[in-house]
Amino acid sequence: QTVNVTGVVLDDDELGLPGASIQEKGTGNGVVTGLDGDFSINVQPGATLVISFVGFASQEIAVGNRSNLRIVMQPDLGALDEVVVIGYGTMRQEAVTGSVASIGGESLREVAAGNVTEALQGRLPGVQISQTSTQPGATQQIRIRGTRSLTASNDPLIVLNGIPFAGSISDINPENIESLDILKDASATAIYGSRGANGVVLITTKAGFKGQQARVSYSGFHGPKTVFSPYPMMDANEFMQMRDAAGLFQNEGASESRDVNTDWQDLFYQTGTMSNHDVSVAGGGEKSTYSFGLGYYHEEGVVPTQQFDRFSMRAAVDQEIGNHLRIGFNTNNNFSTTQGSQVGLYNVLSMSPLASPFNPDGTRRRVINMPQDDTFVLTRDRLNDIDGQWLNETRAYATYNAVYAEVKIPGVEGLKYRANLGLDYRQSNQGEYTGMGINSPNEETLSTAAVGNSHNFHWLMENLLTYDKIFADKHIFNVTALYSTEQNTFYSSRMTGRGMLSDQFQFYNIGLATEEIQINPGDQQYNQWGLMSYMGRVMYSYDDRYMISATLRSDGSSRLSPGFNWHTYPAISAGWNVSKEPFMNNFTNIDMLKLRVGYGQTSNQAIAPYATLGGLGTRPYNFGDDTYAMGYFVNSLPNQNLGWEYSETWNIGIDFDIYNRRLTGSLEFYDTQTRDILLNVTLPATNGVGSYTANIGETQNRGVELALNGLILEKRDWSWEAGVNVYVNRNKLLALASGNQRDESNWWFVGHPINVIFDHRNIGLWQEGDPHRDILEPGGNAGMIKVEYTGGFNDEGVPLRAIGPDDRQILDLQPNFMGGFNSLLKYKNFDFTIVGMFNSGGVLISNLHSSSGYLNMMNGRRNNVSVDYWTPENTGAKYPAPGGLASGDNPKYGSTLGYFDASYLKIRTMTLGYNFDQTGNWMSAAGISRFRIYGAVQNPFVLFSPFNRETGLDPETNSFADQNTAVQGPLPSRLLTIGTNAPATRNFIFGINLTF
Amino acid sequence: CTDILEETPRATFEPSFFQTQEGIQGGLTSMYAHLRYIYGQAYFYNTTLTGTDEVTYAQSADQNFLVMDLSGQGDIDPNSSRADVLWNAAYSNINTASGIIEFASEVGTSDALIAEARFFRAFDYFQLVQTFGGVPLDLGAGELEFNITPSRTSTRNTVPEVYTKGVFPDLVRAINDLPDAPRLTGTATKTLARLYLAKAYLTYGWWLENPNNIPTYPDTPRVDPDGHNPQWYYQQAYDIALEAIANPGPFRLQETFYDVNVAQNDRNMELLLYADHTETSEFYNAGSLTWGNGEAPDNFAGWMMTWNYTVLRSSRSNTTWTNDVESVRREAVQALGRPWTRMAPTIGAITNTFADKTNDSRYDGTFTTVYRANIGRTTPIPGPVYNANFLPVQDGDAILTFLNEQPAQAINFPSPFNLGANLGAGTLPGRSDFVMGPNNISRIVYPGLWKLGPYRTDSGTGLGEPNAGSTRPFNIAKFSELYLIAAEAAVKGATGPQSARDLVNVLRARAGVWRWDNNGNQPKIVDNSALMVAATPAIIDINYILAERSREYYGEGYRWYDLVRTQKWNELAGTYQIAGRNYGDRTAQTITRNIQPYHYLRPIPQSQIDAMEGDRAGYQNPGY
Repeated sequence: QTVNVTGVVLDDDELGLPGASIQEKGTGNGVVTGLDGDFSINVQPGATLVISFVGFASQEIAVGNRSNLRIVMQPDLGALDEVVVIGYGTMRQEAVTGSVASIGGESLREVAAGNVTEALQGRLPGVQISQTSTQPGATQQIRIRGTRSLTASNDPLIVLNGIPFAGSISDINPENIESLDILKDASATAIYGSRGANGVVLITTKAGFKGQQARVSYSGFHGPKTVFSPYPMMDANEFMQMRDAAGLFQNEGASESRDVNTDWQDLFYQTGTMSNHDVSVAGGGEKSTYSFGLGYYHEEGVVPTQQFDRFSMRAAVDQEIGNHLRIGFNTNNNFSTTQGSQVGLYNVLSMSPLASPFNPDGTRRRVINMPQDDTFVLTRDRLNDIDGQWLNETRAYATYNAVYAEVKIPGVEGLKYRANLGLDYRQSNQGEYTGMGINSPNEETLSTAAVGNSHNFHWLMENLLTYDKIFADKHIFNVTALYSTEQNTFYSSRMTGRGMLSDQFQFYNIGLATEEIQINPGDQQYNQWGLMSYMGRVMYSYDDRYMISATLRSDGSSRLSPGFNWHTYPAISAGWNVSKEPFMNNFTNIDMLKLRVGYGQTSNQAIAPYATLGGLGTRPYNFGDDTYAMGYFVNSLPNQNLGWEYSETWNIGIDFDIYNRRLTGSLEFYDTQTRDILLNVTLPATNGVGSYTANIGETQNRGVELALNGLILEKRDWSWEAGVNVYVNRNKLLALASGNQRDESNWWFVGHPINVIFDHRNIGLWQEGDPHRDILEPGGNAGMIKVEYTGGFNDEGVPLRAIGPDDRQILDLQPNFMGGFNSLLKYKNFDFTIVGMFNSGGVLISNLHSSSGYLNMMNGRRNNVSVDYWTPENTGAKYPAPGGLASGDNPKYGSTLGYFDASYLKIRTMTLGYNFDQTGNWMSAAGISRFRIYGAVQNPFVLFSPFNRETGLDPETNSFADQNTAVQGPLPSRLLTIGTNAPATRNFIFGINLTF
Repeated sequence: CTDILEETPRATFEPSFFQTQEGIQGGLTSMYAHLRYIYGQAYFYNTTLTGTDEVTYAQSADQNFLVMDLSGQGDIDPNSSRADVLWNAAYSNINTASGIIEFASEVGTSDALIAEARFFRAFDYFQLVQTFGGVPLDLGAGELEFNITPSRTSTRNTVPEVYTKGVFPDLVRAINDLPDAPRLTGTATKTLARLYLAKAYLTYGWWLENPNNIPTYPDTPRVDPDGHNPQWYYQQAYDIALEAIANPGPFRLQETFYDVNVAQNDRNMELLLYADHTETSEFYNAGSLTWGNGEAPDNFAGWMMTWNYTVLRSSRSNTTWTNDVESVRREAVQALGRPWTRMAPTIGAITNTFADKTNDSRYDGTFTTVYRANIGRTTPIPGPVYNANFLPVQDGDAILTFLNEQPAQAINFPSPFNLGANLGAGTLPGRSDFVMGPNNISRIVYPGLWKLGPYRTDSGTGLGEPNAGSTRPFNIAKFSELYLIAAEAAVKGATGPQSARDLVNVLRARAGVWRWDNNGNQPKIVDNSALMVAATPAIIDINYILAERSREYYGEGYRWYDLVRTQKWNELAGTYQIAGRNYGDRTAQTITRNIQPYHYLRPIPQSQIDAMEGDRAGYQNPGY
């Protein structure tokens, strides 16, 4: 005869403690607490329970006649206390055998940011966050341990509260995040199978816990955003001097005058703002928990009209019904608007500083006339004038929902069945309108309007069986089995119209367009993909000393060819907690030392649906003015054998904790080989069809990651903690299409990283009298760019040929190492935080300086980046002589001017905070349990950056290679560059956190 | 539940669509549309003209143009040559044509439709073989077979193989199966196929004869696999051209040369083939109607020989030259358009080729020589406006005139050059327009190419949309060329009812007929046919044919092919004259080109070589 005792185990912050062990003293009977710290155990009447959890002092509690217990654990100083989410479960950090990096919500919020990616920058080793845009609301690119795939996606899987996330990461409000865990190696990601091939980001949002009184929190921040540094363009004097040096454009355009000096950027930028408000309430009853939150984020860019707004709402409810059933749901909803992406900077930067924004009569100029170009004038005042006549708005609504039910199988202690149902929907509506004559030199250019809609439906059904058992106090088993199916359907449509009757219609009634209304078939999209999976995982640990985890997963994908679309792969990892061995007892300085090793395979199916089928290109055509027809031709070939791309990873790690927790850290090594890479292969023109997708090629990523955290100082009122992470990733292409060593059309070369530059090597400038210029550069001039000649010489040392395409070289872009650091200094109630990141070596591509940007043409046609250029009197300059030998509109080899040393060290944020005392003052009288205020400056300064030293600009990238440039140069669009996107900003923030 | 692993695309086609009736139709349309990726594409256009006696590079020329001039401004190489445009557009079209030919009979397509595909396959091969020498007939599935297997290797056939397998049989079949009248505006006809077969025979005849010992590649003896000699091919060319003239279907010469090229008469019945464009639909035009970026499928060839006339200035004051009225603004009319200043006519083209500017209407119907004030267009520039000699000018008056002849009285060129309409132009007493003589033509100030100027009906009272690609068709083949093909064949020894002189005179007589003085901007009803015919030399030689071709087709993309076919490139274009690239440069310089025998073939594009695997040596034309 037993009695059932239920309860919840809480940590010292009264948060549920999952994975805590509940043992009936003196028996082998025990259970482990669930996700929220809850447990249920059948014990003999009068039993005593032993509650233990690593990092906390064990407690013994006599049950007495109680049937529900609320146990608050106190930390056991000198022990680790972290719990990590590992996918389909949680685990004590100590027992983790795979590579998992974690950061808590509080640490994440040390960088006030609108989205998770921004907050994550530089925080975790092996997690590279790169900026792809600087516009409000933009998210950044996440790469976990480098780039594996050539054309397939390299984005990690985001899992929100256990459900693979089908939306945009900007839809997740950082304020809601309780914890964020990143699974890096295959042994950890294998449970997510093919979806986890590029790593997994597990995001857990805040929840209530049992027996918690309703707790209301508010957090908010607000502050201005200012331009970090304007783009370094020439002023009137410099510009005139360059025209003179070039001997070109000597007669000014109609709007130009030698006595004018206009700083167009100064007339353009505004002070932006960012602000965030978030209110949440959480609580719990005896058998239920709930939480609810509302958030509003608002960001205005320094580029006028660029703006991002997000309203978010989330709720989570968990209810136990009887002793065996638990149900719940959580929902995250948001509505966002993004505005102003139509406003580009190229015109602002390229306008002549000799042109005035005003007509002689004082009215604003619509257009300025330069010698060869007429440019629509963009200033903040003009943008104000044409408010409502020029807009681009995207409104998106997204709802991400998970419903679950969990049944404890009666009769088998520790066996549970859980069903998860994920239902997500995201729709976005984009509208564009450009009024008559707007952004055109011609006043009568017809207005255009466009509307695009997209819908994404995603459902996921997971069936999970878990079995937790502890035998003989020392053998802890966790077994998980999964069967899941998932389907995603995307549908989008778009229409455009020309010649709207009136500005007031904007894009709201394209049916009223007076000219053509277009529904371009290329803009109408539909795709659907499905995935079926089986997975099993066994985790076993013995005496907290030896741990092993084994996973087997099988995935079937709709995207791959029938017969090749299933793949099964294993993963296994083991850990040895050396410090628990008896022979370590003498090493008292070592609190924890653990060795981990893991091996696993993961797969990647991340190609677009229907890639196996081939496709037709379309070419609309007119036969005379009134007969229209659509042309079709084969532009991609089918591949009936398209199968999985897969990676094998080895991971070795050491975790340690020494000197009584003064120094903790981990060191990891990994080696990933990716095979059968899914590749869109460019075929020679003579094949008759441009490309096809195939399993071709092999890549390797090897790396080292080190994370250290130290408590450097701890005195009465003082404490100082600091952390640093450093990581290195070495990427290499091991094989390409059928044994090829080089694919010059895609810039892929065996033995080199996936991302390289294939270009001439700039070795300075040709000087007057340098030998062999006539041979190497026919038609060239002194002061032109000198690139390395790789050809042969005759006996007299004379080059055999002119410099040509054979002299292009493979230039490595990879940094030597990257990382981040953080420091927390506390004095009494004050705290001061610094978060920074750094990058050593590698190549930063600036399209501002390269020929793609058309801002360094060195001829005076349009304004130019302010650079030190060659003249007969200034032969030591870095940049070529104006007006010299050109290739296209730019100096010959102008692309090489865009390569800079990418090194930098950057302070992301400095925050000074103050926590008001809780005890015995006005706060408790007002019911306030926590009150903190802080001020922060983001992006205050950059050090050790050659690019920053030369240009004053932020050395972080802001665009893909095909964005924010005048023309698409030879760079593959996957590379990240600095282009003419909204300038980087320096933000000043004031914030409050308040809890009742 | 395995349904979720099955795929049904709902917004795109699979290649199998190609095997349906609708797919065949779509395939045919795409073949016409592929013309836009070659014709009207200015960089390719440039390869057909820059470096010939017609055209040199202009002030704003970039490498694409400079290297083509072969005058020491960089080399033509596999990267810099823009003949890649043809290479990259042709093979997918050849493959589409092979697909249609293969599948059409299965789905019951008429022979006439299949013949359009045959025409295009032959057309592309003919363009390729003239440009690159021997090219592959096998794309991966066998010679002239539809290829849907990836192949990263390629083997070039020889020139005779390409002609005898890839060009002649399809055209012979096409002549048989195509209709007399086009199926839709601008589609292929018997007459079109005859023109190309005649031209292909003529070109192949020259190749077999090889009078100047120009190398070919892949190397092969100048022997016809079908056993014919050059003479046989010249005669065939003559016979087929005359057959086409005798059975023209709906095609005919226009009354005047002006009518051939004036935009209001686009798609007239002298035109056999063009890459069409329209302003009635931005979508089917496949290019913006307001702003062109200078890339296919836009027709932006006309920008290249348009110099920057917007630099022209008049004066607001009639006492001191204030240089402050932009009297000729950028406008979407045939005489103006978007200035890119990339290509310029040589002085020789103006003074020698078009020596007769009075009787022969073709100079007036080719160039813009008078730049007229458009100050009345919205937004109007209020007067009074003063121009040369401080004389007042009105909207529509000449601001700058390129004189037909160097005047007897020396032109007064004021200094500094901004006093000369802001660009170094001169004055003559009593004239309110600034003037330039033919010998003053420079790389920065030169007559524009009127033929290819834009034309829009939607400009209203304003300047219109000069920055869009041209919405006019880009003409590729004309009925008139049949006369010149037959005449050239006759010069090469072909015999028949009409002599070379007879044939040339048909076009010369027409050139003497005026109904409109284009640059005078007024009617001109004059018939100088008799004078034109009388001026034709008694003995026509190949150089005369070439000069006549230049007068007829100046700036339309024929010239390099004409000079290469006849092996006269170096002889006729080895030197040229033009003044420098700065305002105020008015003194003609003589420039020598370095035209080598290997230049008679363009390099195989680097992108082809880069994407190939296996043995790539030997694929490139020697010399590059």
